[in-house]
Parts: sequence; C-alpha cells; structure tokens
Amino acid sequence: MAIQYELSGVAKFFERGSATVRALDGVDLEIEAGEFLALEGPSGSGKTTLLQLLGALDRPSEGTVLFEGRDLAKLPDIQLAALRLRSFGFVFQQFNLIPTLTAIENVEVKLAPVGGGREKALQMLEEVGLAGRADHLPAHMSGGEQQRVAIARALSVEPRVVLADEPTGNLDSATGGEIIELLSGLAAEHGSTVIVATHDAGLAARAPRRLAMRDGRFAGLGAPAAA
Amino acid sequence: MFASYVFYARYLRNELLRRRTRTIVTLIGLGLGVALVIAISSLSNGLDRAQKKTLNPLAGIGTDLTVTLAPQQNQGGGFGGPGGGGASRDLIQANQSVITDLSKLGKPGTHFVHDFFLPGTQLTFKRTDTKQISSIAGVGGVTQGLTLLAQHQEGIVPKIVATLKTQAKTITQVRKIPQPTAAEFAAMQACFAKLGGSAPTPGANGGAGFGGGGGGGARPDRGAFSKCLPARLQKLRATFTSPSQTLRQVLNPPQTNITTTAYTIGGVDQTNPTMGIVTTAQVTKGRYLAVAGGREALISQTYAAKHSLKVGSTLDLNGTKFTVVGLVAPPLGGQSADVYLPLKQLQTLANEAGLANVVLVRASSSSNVASVQKAIEKALPQAQVASSKQVAAQISGSLVDASNISKNLGFALSVIAAVAAFLLAALLALSSVGKRTRELGTLKALGWTQRMVVRQIAGESLAQGVLGGVFGILFGLLIIAAVNAFGPTLSASSTTGDSSLLGLGVSTARTATSSVSLSAPVGVTVLATGFGLALLGGLVAGTAGAMRAARLRPADALRQVD
Repeated sequence: MAIQYELSGVAKFFERGSATVRALDGVDLEIEAGEFLALEGPSGSGKTTLLQLLGALDRPSEGTVLFEGRDLAKLPDIQLAALRLRSFGFVFQQFNLIPTLTAIENVEVKLAPVGGGREKALQMLEEVGLAGRADHLPAHMSGGEQQRVAIARALSVEPRVVLADEPTGNLDSATGGEIIELLSGLAAEHGSTVIVATHDAGLAARAPRRLAMRDGRFAGLGAPAAA
Repeated sequence: MFASYVFYARYLRNELLRRRTRTIVTLIGLGLGVALVIAISSLSNGLDRAQKKTLNPLAGIGTDLTVTLAPQQNQGGGFGGPGGGGASRDLIQANQSVITDLSKLGKPGTHFVHDFFLPGTQLTFKRTDTKQISSIAGVGGVTQGLTLLAQHQEGIVPKIVATLKTQAKTITQVRKIPQPTAAEFAAMQACFAKLGGSAPTPGANGGAGFGGGGGGGARPDRGAFSKCLPARLQKLRATFTSPSQTLRQVLNPPQTNITTTAYTIGGVDQTNPTMGIVTTAQVTKGRYLAVAGGREALISQTYAAKHSLKVGSTLDLNGTKFTVVGLVAPPLGGQSADVYLPLKQLQTLANEAGLANVVLVRASSSSNVASVQKAIEKALPQAQVASSKQVAAQISGSLVDASNISKNLGFALSVIAAVAAFLLAALLALSSVGKRTRELGTLKALGWTQRMVVRQIAGESLAQGVLGGVFGILFGLLIIAAVNAFGPTLSASSTTGDSSLLGLGVSTARTATSSVSLSAPVGVTVLATGFGLALLGGLVAGTAGAMRAARLRPADALRQVD
C-alpha cells in the first residue's frame, strides 16, 4: 500500500504566558492509505495536536508533514482548505454540529462547497441509520445520534482520510462502541484511512494499529513506523 | 452550484429564525437607532423648510431689495433738523389724525364704523424717485406699493354735554353827589320855604345840610327834602364794566364703547402679479387680484382666520365695499400686510392719490444685488434699502429659536444618533460573531475557505441590517406621524418701525406674525440615510468580526470555548 503520510521531526509549541508548552515534541510517523490507526494516551499527551496537524487544521512549529508527497506546512491557506474539504473528514468529541441546522443541513454544510447535494446528504444519513431524523435539530437528538450525523457529514465527500478526535468521549460505552463500529465499517466501505484519537484503551484495542502517546512523543506500544 | 447557494441562503435564514432572541434584540437595537436618525433628520428638515418659507421673506415676493423712506430721527436732534425734523413732524400730524373727532362721526347714539389709514413710520416717495431707481444700472424690475397702518374704530357716537354754573357777585360803588347850582339851590330854598322849613345856608354848611338836615329853626320833613331836590339829583346814574373773565373747565371724555383694532393694509400693483408686496405665488386659496384693479381684496390667512373671513366675504372700508377674492400666505418681512387692495384703490381710500411708500426692486441678477443696493442708497440718501438677509434678521419668535436650535443641536443629535445606531449595529454584530468562533472554526475544519465564511456572516449581517433598517423606517415614520399629529406650532414675527416713535400715543409699528405648524417631512434621502447606516454598521462590523474569526487557523478557532 502507498504511504499516505510521512512525518519527520514534527513539533508543535504553544506559548502559554511566558512558558512554552511542547504539545508535540519531535514525532516521526508513516501512515499507509486505508489504515485504521488509534492514537492512545491521556489528555495533554499530544493526540489532538497530532490529529490537527494531520488534518491540516494547523501548521507544525518544526518538522515536515507530507501528505501524499505534499508538505502541508508549505501549502497556501486556500489549498489547505481544499484539502480539508475533499480529502479529510473530521469527527469531533463535541460533535460540532451547527445548532441552527437540521441533521440533513449539517451534512449539507460539507457538501455545499463542492456543489451541494441534498440527495447525497440524505443517502449519508441513511447509511448512519438516521434517515428518519433528517429534519431534527441537534438539540433534539441524543449524543449518539449527533455523532452519527457528524460521521455522515465527515464521510459525505468520500474523503481519503477520516480524523476522529475522541469520537466517543461524550457517549456512554455502548453507544461509543456502536459509533466505532460504524466508523470503521463505513471507512472500510469507502476505502478511507481512519485515525482515531482516544484515551479509552478498550476502544483503541479495536484498531489494527495502536500508537501510545505521552508528553508529545510516542511511547511503548508498537513501533512508530508502519506495521 | 445553484444548490450550494440555496443551501447558503437556507443557512442564513435558519441563523436568523432559530436564534430568534439574538435577532430580535439586534433588530430592535438597529431599528431604534435608525428611527432616531430618521426622526431627528426629518424634524430638522421640517424646521429648515419652515424657516426657508417664513424667514426668507423677500425671495417669496420676487424681490431682492425693498426701498422705504423713514424719518431720520437722529438727524440734528429730532425736530431741530431741517429735513428730517420736518419729515417727522409731517408723520406725526398724519398719524395724529386718528385721534377721533367724535363730532364728525354722526349724531350721538348712532353706531359708527370707521377705518383710519396712517402712514406709520414710512414716508411717501416722490414720483420721480421710482423713476430714478428704475434707471439705475443692474435693476431688473421695479414696482411700487403702499403699506399703511389701519386703525379700525367702531362704536356708538357719544353725547357730550357740559353744564357751567357761575357764582353770584355783589358790586359796591362809592360816588360823590355833585353840588346843586345857584339857581337850583334858590329853587330848593323856595320849595323848602313853601313847605314850611328853613333852608340850609349855602356855602357854610352846604354839604352837611344835605346829610344832617341842618339844625335850628323850622325842621322840614324828609318828604319835603326829596321833593325839593332838583330832578337831576333825584336819580344818580353811573356806568361801570366788570373785568373780563375766561371760564376754564376740563371735560372728561364720555365713556363709550368705541373699540379700536389695528391692522396693516397694503396697496399692490396688481398689474405686476409676480412682483410686489404680495404675488400670485402666495395665494393659497382663491385667486390673485384682477389686472383691472376693481374693488377686490386679498387677505392673509392669519387675518382671515382671526376675523372669520373667507373667499367671497365683503370688506367694508369707510363705505367702499371690497370682495375678498383670495387668501394669501405672505412671507414675514417689512412689507407684509393683513389686507391687500389694488394700489389705486388704497390710494383713494387713504387720500394719498398717486403715492407709494415702498418701492420693490429686483436686480437683473443675484450677483449685483449688493451693487444695486449701494447705488440706490447713493441716489436716495434718505431711503432705507433692505435686502432679504437684513429683513430676515429682524424676524424673531419660536420658529427662529427652534431653527437655531435645530441648526446646532439637531445636527449634533443627528450625528450622535447616527453614530449610536452605527456603533450599536457594529457591537451587536461583533458580539454575535464572537460567540460563534467555534462554529466558524468548524466550518473551516470542514473545508470552507475564509472567503466563504466571511461571505456567510456578511450575508447574515446584511440581512439583519435590511430588516433592522425596515423596522427603523417603520418606527421612525411612527414618530414622525406622532409629531405631525400633535404638530407643535411655531411662530415667527417681524416688527418694523419703532413702536415708541416720537412718543406717539398710537403705535406705528407694524408687527406681522406668521405661525407654522411644525411638520417633519419624510425625505427619501433621510430614509435612505437611516437605512444605509443600519446596513453599513451591520455589514462592516459583521464582516470585520467574521474576518477576524475566519483568519484564525481552524485549530485555534476550535479551541475557543463556547
């Protein structure tokens, strides 16, 4: 399989007052297309920061992030936006649905910039089992339902990579399990790479490849290189 | 691509409808600001309009300059001055003629109505003066007018009776009786003797004998004495003249029910209807005086209202009947009047045939008004030449006050309201965007470009601005409607002449008052300004806020707490 991501010496610093927080402290990593990867670690270990660098939501302070051979740090904003739109699908712990939009409209948010598609949005809601709730507002849906909408939104443009940051963090364990099932199943169906950040070891155990993180570095479990 | 825009529009609509509280607060804020701007500007405009109409007197009568002759009070100490003093004296005599000669009004007890026409403080022009003015370079037109102060008296002719009573007098006169002649004395002695008495001896006791009757001898009785006196002395005659005497008594004028009302009356050259002390432009009802100049009158609206006169009413001026053919709204100024007659008619009524006391001058172009004014002043040194600006400066009253306030305060208030509306719109838009940083970060994480995010938020701001503007216009119109409904009345008055001129009992000042009900005209410009402000405020602030949020890296935006 082709190497999709190639990270070398990636570091990310944040200025917190006078102190510098090293959220990510020199990480090397290769990820193949179609992989299901779990990033494991306690909060503050750097999972979210790594995920944001992989999803072109942020630029590294040091090192290079190559996505399909292109250095994300060197791409202009407009091209990063295009990558986020067509190549990446994000799922957040807080779901991040637009509160004033219905389920189907929330899926359309992702589809509108690529030309719209209400049918496609409805089809995606069917795939996550929410066709009957298309016209409900997020406030009127359960957490699990909201996260399904978020998954439908992330997958609606057939992204090459799905990035999920603590997707089950706000859900009970049964629902969380269902969500992970759904995510992995759909990703396999669409041929997408899935990278999940979680502090839940049980959930991480479902992933074929697990990377443990601590203090901005990989630690212990598994090798940083491709399996 | 069309489907995308349908979605963006739906997103926009949902943001406004489903964040109802925020939208309503924003709309009320914007609406109030816009309404204030509209209401204040409209009121300010209304005042300006009222002021232009009322305080720019000469422009309304097609005239640049008014020329009048007034007595020069300060020349040579009033009466002492040869020219001016004489003119003042003439004026006083003319004005005093109003002191009613009751005896000429009719028999006591009969009702009388009489109008006296006084020149007030304006002297009449010589016929050559008008010709002289019209020959001055730069003069485009000249017309004459006669404005008089009328005293209308009405009442019952009183009966005046004075009773004089003189005192009774006693006059005392002392007179010596002449001595009788020798012949008379002899006759007397003979008479006495005949009646049997001694006669007094002449010489020794001549006089005393007459009084004391003599002593000794026979005593003649008193009857004999009177019989024996010569006829000349029996009756004494004397003439005297009492000193000449003049009786003076002050008669109090009798209490009568005579009432005096003053009004101003103007003579108009009706053959020149676009220029004169009143013109066709000021006719509000009815028509202007016919060119023929018959017995027709125009009356001012205020005067008509005060005396319940209307088009078709008849005015009786000392027996001459005039038909009211039109109501006029004369602009305030030196020569406005309550009643207007054709010039010739007024001249006849006032016994001022051929005379005029005001000459109206129109300059051939507005640029040479000043030079024409100077030329007239030079040609007629005793004349007063007033330009419209100077006339306007004499006008006072609540309208002027309000107008002055509006000029200063109104502008300031408009600006403050505008700034407030703008700031309010900006603040509301900014705070609304500020609270949505995470949402905007999510949009960016999902692949929206900065431009798309800004466009979406700007669209929302624009829509809120439009709605707020509409709301503001409605609210502003409501305020204006309220002002127009309650319409506070402002008045302006113009006084010409000195009310205490030379201490006359009759006030010779002309005071013209014009009342204007304040209205706030709604201009498209005003509405557009208010509307534009709301739009601009919302749009600028919304866009600025959106740009700030959208420029953030999605990771940073997402980190923001709700």
